[in-house]
Amino acid sequence: MNQVKRSRSIAFHLIAAVLAVELLSSLLVGILSYGYERHIHFHAFDSILHGRVDSVIGAVQDAGDVDDNVMLDTADLHVPKDDIYEVFNSRGELLGRSPNWTGTSAPPAIPPHRHATFSEIKVNGREYRLLTQQGSRIVDPGDPGGGKLRHVTVIYGAPTERLWRAIHAAVQFYAAGSILLLAVTGPLIAWLLHRGLAPLRQLATLASRVSADSWHFSPPASARTTPELAPLTTAMENVLQRLERSFTQQRTFVSDAAHELKTAVAVVKSSLQLLGLRPRTQAEYQAGLERTLADTQRLEELVAKMLTLARVEDTGAAPGLPATVDLVQSMQQAAAELETVAKLHKIKVTMESPADEPVMVALTQEDCSLLLSNLLLNALQHSPPESTVELRTALQKERNTAEFSVRDHGEGIDPADLPRVFDRFYRSDPSRTRSTGGAGLGLAICKAVAERAGGSIALASQPGQGTTVTVQLPLTPNPDAASQLA
Amino acid sequence: MRVLLVEDEVRLADNLAAALRDGPGFAVDCAADGLSGDNLAGNRCYDLIILDLMLPRLDGLSLLRRLRARGDSTPVLILTAKEGKQAIIQLLNSGADDYLAKPFDLGELIARSKALIRRGKGQSHPVLSALGLEVNTLEQTVRRNGVLVDLSPTEYRILEYLIHHPRRVFSKRDLLEHLYDYNWEHHSNVIEAHVSNLRKKLDAAVPGAEPVIETLRGRGYRMAVGPEHTIEPG
Repeated sequence: MNQVKRSRSIAFHLIAAVLAVELLSSLLVGILSYGYERHIHFHAFDSILHGRVDSVIGAVQDAGDVDDNVMLDTADLHVPKDDIYEVFNSRGELLGRSPNWTGTSAPPAIPPHRHATFSEIKVNGREYRLLTQQGSRIVDPGDPGGGKLRHVTVIYGAPTERLWRAIHAAVQFYAAGSILLLAVTGPLIAWLLHRGLAPLRQLATLASRVSADSWHFSPPASARTTPELAPLTTAMENVLQRLERSFTQQRTFVSDAAHELKTAVAVVKSSLQLLGLRPRTQAEYQAGLERTLADTQRLEELVAKMLTLARVEDTGAAPGLPATVDLVQSMQQAAAELETVAKLHKIKVTMESPADEPVMVALTQEDCSLLLSNLLLNALQHSPPESTVELRTALQKERNTAEFSVRDHGEGIDPADLPRVFDRFYRSDPSRTRSTGGAGLGLAICKAVAERAGGSIALASQPGQGTTVTVQLPLTPNPDAASQLA
Repeated sequence: MRVLLVEDEVRLADNLAAALRDGPGFAVDCAADGLSGDNLAGNRCYDLIILDLMLPRLDGLSLLRRLRARGDSTPVLILTAKEGKQAIIQLLNSGADDYLAKPFDLGELIARSKALIRRGKGQSHPVLSALGLEVNTLEQTVRRNGVLVDLSPTEYRILEYLIHHPRRVFSKRDLLEHLYDYNWEHHSNVIEAHVSNLRKKLDAAVPGAEPVIETLRGRGYRMAVGPEHTIEPG
């Protein structure tokens, strides 16, 4: 939680990104508007300069002298008083100049093929834009031959302060507009984001209500329909369902275990109290003590089985070395261990295995014998006298698995009970198996052992025909290491 | 008194049945699962049902609800390994009269069983009195006008059963049903013999006194409480 708080929120990032983009675009707008305004204003300004130059050329008059020279008559020339101008004849002699100007040092040269050039100059501390333009005047146009053409060069300048002021004003307007826009959109985006992220917050609120006691999680409709949130919502629902299932299983196990233990303790306690209820004979006490001892042994077995189950199911505890064991040998050992039980019930145990070949599986010797003897004992307990229990180990090399099966010819299991036979504490016939001491943990332990080794266990049964339990275990690659164990 | 014990743990059921037969002298029937418990309870001949919660085929709570749903008001004592207030509240609200958490004390179980039976028959005190008779259900002793009467266990049980409802007429069948479990051969002449012995012993205790047990021909027995008599409380 702390880490989440320390890093900046998504909303913060989004707002910052949007504002940065806005800032960048308003900068661009500023630069573009500056260029555009400059272009527009200068274009207009230059047109005005051309007009003024035309006015000045209009003021060039016939000097009336012998050489038909021209002169500048400023009497009718009306130009703004801040403007400056100079007029030269074709020989470069100054014809006239505005009174507020000392003039250029020499008549500017106009590059060939160009009618006019612009330049910038500073006069009296003010920026001027100068237009230097060629013009012509026909002297004595009424003379035969159409008069004489006289060329003049006009330099005309006007101050650009106002022009720049206008450009700056325009740019400032755009800049101010952009900043205002930024100021308005910042909070607006924040508000919109807040609204836009509402489904996420709703989802979080509802998700935070989920706890080990209350697994109910109904995501808001908005979270389900929002494309960005739908995968998250689905994932959360799935995770919660799985968690709830495993929590419920765990809770059921604890509750079942408590029930079993308390019942077993209740048996011992009641046996003792029954004995003390009234004075009894020596023989009665003797029998009572024996019964109580048997009850205590059953309690002890129950505890041992529960601890075994806890150990086998504790997948977190990694086995030290990758263990391997020969399934065939373990099968023979289990059969030998339970030989007396089999004889007691007059049951024949047959074994079948691949000849002269060890079948190595990834189990410790302890777990393997636990698995096999549990299955065999189970089969023996459910077999009628004079019947056969068949043990079989087989190799399935193409699937790289070993298969071990135990088949009995007992009463079989009710199909209704089949799905639950591997459940912890599950007994298909409680009163009967309880009297034989079963706690309903044997098959659960077998399942845990098989699954821990990466294998699986399955049970097939036909009522009246018998039951077959089949364990599939992956083969281990190196059979050499196991021969030492054996 | 006849008790139905529904408990799937065979050894525990054995012990409880033995204790209830040995101690207060109840007749006890055992059922190892919920459905057979339900079947037995359907006979309506029990004065108390002791019910385990975790049962195969039909769990204790469902069995209890079935009982109450069909209007069976037999007192029910629950044996539970569950913990937590909620589970107990749910039990009591479903019609249980009392509960005991496993592992329980056998003496407590017997005491609670007796109390539930007593309450179920409208009596609150463990010493029941009528017609100068005083039946102490704790000591299992009987006095008439202060004189101790020595009774056999069966005679005591008959008297105890009758005195819980001093005005009611009990048929032989009633007595058979409530005093013997299913393991007994049902012969009504057994009852006749026991009642006859009981009457003789009670009348012999105080010479010249009125008989305390009436025989109503074809109907059964009752305590001989005439209209002029009142039952002294406790």
